[in-house]
Amino acid sequence: MPVTAKTLQLLPLLALLVAACEEASGPTASPRLDASVLMPQELRQEDRFGLPAIATVFIPTNLKDAYNEAPPAQDGANFKSLIVQKLIAFGQTPAAADALADALTPDIQPIDVSQPSGFLNGRKLDDDVITAELGLIFGSNAALNDDHVDANDKPFLPTFPYLAGPNVQ
Amino acid sequence: MLRLIAPRSRGRVIAWGLLLATAAALGVTRWIKASDHKDSALLAADHAADIADVYTFKSPVNPDNVVLVMTVSGFIPPSEASTTFFDPNVLYQWKIDNSGDAVEDLVIQAFVTGTGGHQVMHFRGPAAPAATGTTDRVVPGPETATVRVSNSEVPIVASRGGMTVFAGVRDDPFFFDLVQFKRIIAGEATSFRNPGVDTFAGFNVLAIVAEFPSSLLGGQKLGVWGTTSRVQF
Repeated sequence: MPVTAKTLQLLPLLALLVAACEEASGPTASPRLDASVLMPQELRQEDRFGLPAIATVFIPTNLKDAYNEAPPAQDGANFKSLIVQKLIAFGQTPAAADALADALTPDIQPIDVSQPSGFLNGRKLDDDVITAELGLIFGSNAALNDDHVDANDKPFLPTFPYLAGPNVQ
Repeated sequence: MLRLIAPRSRGRVIAWGLLLATAAALGVTRWIKASDHKDSALLAADHAADIADVYTFKSPVNPDNVVLVMTVSGFIPPSEASTTFFDPNVLYQWKIDNSGDAVEDLVIQAFVTGTGGHQVMHFRGPAAPAATGTTDRVVPGPETATVRVSNSEVPIVASRGGMTVFAGVRDDPFFFDLVQFKRIIAGEATSFRNPGVDTFAGFNVLAIVAEFPSSLLGGQKLGVWGTTSRVQF
């Protein structure tokens, strides 16, 4: 039926028009903005992030996609043995490797909100997580256990949204 | 039609760097060439779904509040600060485990409508997800908050019902001497410089920030992670 087909073709355009009108209404536009293309869709995870940097140290290239697309609840079953193997290959004792692998799986950021925040109880903007992690890997090797970049290049804001303003030309 | 693979994550680049440095320190130099891959055009195209960092901390202003930050689309140069935008095909989420099983009990979702410099970021939750795991749906509305996406110095902030939100371009909060680290990996240096040089200085990210009462998260001991999800064409 040509009429139906034509109508279907026009639907995305209508959605765009609705979206355009809604956005023109300003920053506190009404919550009926349901023109999002996401709304009726089934979506699939593309990327995830828990602990900064260190967890994925141990995921080999051929498993990176699988890791990115996996839920953390399965990290222990899927990836712990790989982590243990790598740590042992890097010279850790089996007991130490097992303990560290337990701390790194699942790959989520723990926080107890009844306690002060700071890596590894949550992660604040100014936490020097790289130096913390280099220390974990390189221990007392002073050449490699600190990158000597201790703070962000721009000061964080004391109030929301806390992040420093953009670098512009 | 586009099923983009392996979004390049700056976090992962660094993580691999850490691994390679460990390998280098142990004399396992053969690994380095094998793993030193560069970005492809395809991966660069998925920048908007590429998580750079996630931060979780108690509000320094109100200790009853928790602040969640997600940054994506790393290494935005100053020349592109006002012309880099969120992707309307991506759902940005923080997932919260409050029962200790590493399965999300609550999600806070963010997604944009609109294109170019006229995007609005919509927030939903904290709410129970439609399903746990890696297949995601937008939870039923209404929005917890909405805010116009900021593309300049002065942040546009919105509050509704105890939730304060922001979305837009900001200075990348991450800091690391990645350049020297790469030299160490390549065997061109044997130690960090002191003082180091922040490779991320002067670059921007797209940031999403939400602050709200931590009592909304159903517990004090929480696990937090960020995800990006895409429409599958």
